[in-house]
Order: sequence, then C-alpha cells, then structure tokens
Amino acid sequence: MDVQRYISSGILESYVFGMLPEAERSEVEAIVGQYPDVKAAVNSLQLDKERFVQLYAVSPPSAIKDKLTEIIRQENTLEGNEKLPEDLRIPSHQPPGEKKKPVKEAVIKQLPVARKKDDRKWKIMTAAIVILLIGSVLLNFFFFQKSTDYKSRYKSLIATKEKLEAEKQREALTSVHSPAAPVIDPLSDPAFKWTTIQGAGLFRGKTVAVGWNAGTQAVYLQARLMPAPPAGKQFQLWAIINKKLVDEGVFETGAEAAQVLQQMKPLAAAQGFAVTLEKAGGNSQPSMDQVCMSAKIAM
Amino acid sequence: MGATLTYTEVELIQGLLAREEKIFTYLYDHYSPALYGVALKVVGEEAAAGDVLQEVFVKIWRNIDRYDPSKGRLFTWMLNITRNTAIDSLRSKNHKLDQRIQDVNSASLVYEPQLAVHLSVDHLGLSKVIEQLQKDQRIIIDMAYFKGHTQEEIAKSLEIPLGTVKTRMRNAIIQLRTLLKQL
Repeated sequence: MDVQRYISSGILESYVFGMLPEAERSEVEAIVGQYPDVKAAVNSLQLDKERFVQLYAVSPPSAIKDKLTEIIRQENTLEGNEKLPEDLRIPSHQPPGEKKKPVKEAVIKQLPVARKKDDRKWKIMTAAIVILLIGSVLLNFFFFQKSTDYKSRYKSLIATKEKLEAEKQREALTSVHSPAAPVIDPLSDPAFKWTTIQGAGLFRGKTVAVGWNAGTQAVYLQARLMPAPPAGKQFQLWAIINKKLVDEGVFETGAEAAQVLQQMKPLAAAQGFAVTLEKAGGNSQPSMDQVCMSAKIAM
Repeated sequence: MGATLTYTEVELIQGLLAREEKIFTYLYDHYSPALYGVALKVVGEEAAAGDVLQEVFVKIWRNIDRYDPSKGRLFTWMLNITRNTAIDSLRSKNHKLDQRIQDVNSASLVYEPQLAVHLSVDHLGLSKVIEQLQKDQRIIIDMAYFKGHTQEEIAKSLEIPLGTVKTRMRNAIIQLRTLLKQL
C-alpha cells in the first residue's frame, strides 16, 4: 500500500471527524494497526480535533457536577440507580455493578435507511455473482460435453474416410489386374471397334488402342506403348464429338499397364479420340497444348 | 481542581478502574468544559446539553474498562462518547427542535474565559480561527463533526461529488491545523 497516498487521501480526516460509515471505519482501524505512519497521522489528527473542540469549551452548570458525584457515590445503591437517565439504569433484577450495560459509544449510528440500502445493494450483488458463477459452471459442463461429442464424431468421420479410401484403392487395383469381365472379351468381340491412336512429335512411336462398342456404349483402352507420365501428371482420353473434346477419363500407362484393358467412360457417339497429358486425376477441360496424339474412328 | 495535582493518562485510567472518586472529580474538572461545549454545539440548547454531559460522565465511569488505548487517547475516547451521545439525543424524537432555536443559541457558544482557565485558547483565538476558516470548510467540519452527517449526506447537501467530500475535509483540517498553530 502507498502509505503516503493513503494518508493524503483525506480518509483519515474523515475517520477522525466521524464521517465514515461503519465498514470504512473498521477498514481504517485495521490499516492503523498495520502501518505506524498511518497511526501517527491519525494520532496527530486526533490532537488537532482535541484542540479544535477546545475552542468551543463552555463550563457546564455546577449542578451537574453535584449530581454526578451523588450518582457515583450511590452507584451501587438503588437510589443511585434511580438518579440515572433511564437508559443507563441497571435493570432492578440484576445485581448492581456486576454487569454493565453495553454502551453504543464508539459506534456512530448510521441512519437506518442508508444502512438498509447498503445491505440491499450487497445482497443483490452477492446474488448476482452467485448466479453468474452457477451459470458459468453449467455452460462449462455443457460445452465440455459438446466438445467431447464433436471429438468423437470427428474421429469416426476420419475412420470412415480412411476406410473408404482404402476400399477405393483396392477397387482400383482390382480393376487394373482383372480389367475385363470374364464373359466379355472386348479384344475378340466383333461388337468392339478398335482404333489405334498414334503418337506424334514427342510421342512418335507411342500407341494407345481404344475399343468402343457402339451398342453397349462401353469403351476400353489399352495403353500398348505408352511411357509412365511425369510425376504429378496423368494421361487422359478424350472423345472427339462434333469437333469438341469430351472427357473419357484418365488411364494408367507404363510397362505394367501395357497389357491391361482399362474401362473408360461410356460413349454414345464419337468421331475420334485424343489423348492429352493432364495433371494427376484429370481435367474437366483438355489442355490443348498438351495433346499427345489423336485419331479418327474408322467408319 | 488541585492546583499542582496532575495525572498522567495511565493514572487517570487506573484511578477510574479503581473507582476513585477524586480521579473522577479531576476528570470532570478538566474535561467537562470541552465535552459540554461539544454537546452544546450538537444539541443546541443548554438543558439538553446538560443531560448529555451527565450521561457521558456516567458512561465514562461505568465503561472505562472498554476504553481501548490503541484507538486513541482518553480525551479522544471521551469526545467520541460525547459526540455520539449528543447526536443520538439530537436525533431522538424528544429533540425535534426547530433549527432556528439552534441558531439563536449559537450565541451561547461565545467563550466564557473565567470558567475555563485551563484552556490555552482565549476568546480572541476562537473568533480568529473561526473567522479565518473558509466558510465552506467550516460548514463541512460542522456538518460532519457536530451534526453527524455521513459523507453521502454532506455530498448531497453541498451538491458536490462524494470523492470531493474527503478532499475538502482534508483541506479544512489542514487549514485548521495551521490556524491552531498560530494561536
């Protein structure tokens, strides 16, 4: 505590001259007991007050002294008791002098209204704080529950996703290794029209065969002589329909895929095929500068 | 009042605790003018002030074992009893006196030098101090000390912020202290 600041705040003057409400008064008294400097300041103020009230000193009527002398002489008798102001009398059933009536001395009575108001204020504040606390605890509990719930749901979502991905991978591999349905062999089935697409430029000498069954609309692709694509890239087949390229899906290339029939997207009508090099997973629109090869379907 | 006889505070307290009448008489002779003055200033009329004074001395006599030296000197304790008894008396329904009577009676506050020889302050001293104390500072001391108003009541009645009451009280006491030193 900043003692000097406390001393100069004016609270000690208010204390000594009896202006403080009870709560603040006991606060000051606690601090007086703790800080010698504050105590010294209070003492000096009390002396000021003593000197100040001396200014108003008036000698009282001498009758009062006589009466008081009488009272204290007869203090322990019934007569002496009777001479006292009413609220100082010792109750008659009590042995006189044994127990003193508690005195209100140091307590400056606060007006009851003010105190009540003060009490009420504190009660309301306490109630509000308690309610807030309870509310906060409940909310904590609620949000904790929720967060645990979200955590478990998140985990199960991740697990589902992983499972799905694993399944997808397995399916993809299966389709690569056993491409054709055992019943249908597109290579020997006359319903399939096979078109060989020859590479040009960089892809000179490379060939891809595409078999298309106009009846069932099934399309198969065999990447007979195609290199593996650069990292992050993949070859994509396009059907040429009225001079427009329509996506037929990406396909695997390289030595492992050379003998494999890969099923592509079904096709209703087309005049030719083209192959482009696209980003892995394919593009929805062909990159025209990446066309590796194209061929017309022989009519 | 014995001319040469003086007691220290400790002796006074012990004497009172021992129920010594001569100590009580000494206490009365030395302190009754100051305490009566406070009572008179608070209740505003002599008869009521006399009753207060009598009650105060009986309380001092009976409750000396409640006196706590750590809270202040014996005189301060007696002043507190006097002020509180007087304010209680003022507030009790028996003393719903008209404010005007008080104003008239304030004339009785004129100092009576022959009756309080032990005081170092003379008549001129009182008027000098009271005159020099600025009006608003005098009012705040009066309201607080003699009328027992709380800070809130003073702030409300003087139409100043609550925080200002304490500072103004402090300034008033500082000025009072300076004036008292000049006497």
